[in-house]
Amino acid sequence: MDHFQVFGLPRRLAIDTVELQRKFYELSRLHHPDFHQAASPEEQARTLEASARLNTAYRALRDPIARVEYLVRLEEGRDTKEGATVKPKAPPELLEEMFEIQEALAEAKVGGLDEAGRAALVAPRDRLMVRLEQENARLVGPLTQGWDAAAPAERQRVLAAMKEALATRAYLGTVIDDLNDALGESLEGYVTHRRH
Amino acid sequence: MAYSEKVVDHYNNPRNVGSFMKDTPGVGTGLVGAPECGDVMKLQIKVNLQTGVIEDAKFKTFGCGSAIASSSLATEWLKGKTVDEAGKIKNTDIVNELKLPPVKIHCSVLAEDAIKAALADYKTKWIKEGAAAASST
Ligand code: FES
Repeated sequence: MDHFQVFGLPRRLAIDTVELQRKFYELSRLHHPDFHQAASPEEQARTLEASARLNTAYRALRDPIARVEYLVRLEEGRDTKEGATVKPKAPPELLEEMFEIQEALAEAKVGGLDEAGRAALVAPRDRLMVRLEQENARLVGPLTQGWDAAAPAERQRVLAAMKEALATRAYLGTVIDDLNDALGESLEGYVTHRRH
Repeated sequence: MAYSEKVVDHYNNPRNVGSFMKDTPGVGTGLVGAPECGDVMKLQIKVNLQTGVIEDAKFKTFGCGSAIASSSLATEWLKGKTVDEAGKIKNTDIVNELKLPPVKIHCSVLAEDAIKAALADYKTKWIKEGAAAASST
């Protein structure tokens, strides 16, 4: 059973999160151990399993970007992030740019950060954050709608575009994280990536 | 996460960090990234154009300890190999040597990708007549 099926939903990306939350509470009550105290141990174990599955499914679906990530994995038939069959191609200019910023950052760290040095990091950081927002907007906007509207023959193309957007997001997020680390500003909860 | 001794060694004493000028004769450059985590790696080879042997290799990696260790190890392995031999290095060789856990496999894949990209770049730049050989990889 995939996460969409847990909620009785079709494999579509546009989900009403208010409705999703309502269903989540409803199903949670249904699977709550308190209501199953009289049940046999096997049945209690099943209930526990169902409630764990429900929680995982809810976590994957409530956030529209996590939802896209999950859909991509699901469509590729793999459960984890490891072992992607087809690697998304990152735009080469993006890699080039990320590499250059990292190099500049490494140098700036060696020299110690004075006011000018900080300013030189803040500018690219802010620029990259705008791009990250754009990428997020693309994922939850046109790409989400594109998937839901796609005929079966078009799905691979939409999937590839989503993978590319997710990869771009990962590159941007990593560099933003590193810049924020260097600046001593961590924007808690903004970028979730942690490398080490 | 506990890193293996070999990873820690390469991480603390990375071999062959640096870069060559991209257009030096015989130099091939591979710049790759891991979409799983957003890390980037640059690996370069310097090939003797007479013998086809890789005389020197350098890398710069902005990534996790395993990625740094993988690329450091890769540059060590590349030196002295012919271009064809270098094309046979697999990420699984790196995984075995460094004892990388499953969650760190993509870091070794990054190194294999970087080797392949550097070899491909070398071939397109410096092997004019060998276009057929280059496209067979
Ligand atoms: S975690 Fe990114 S390369 Fe290892």
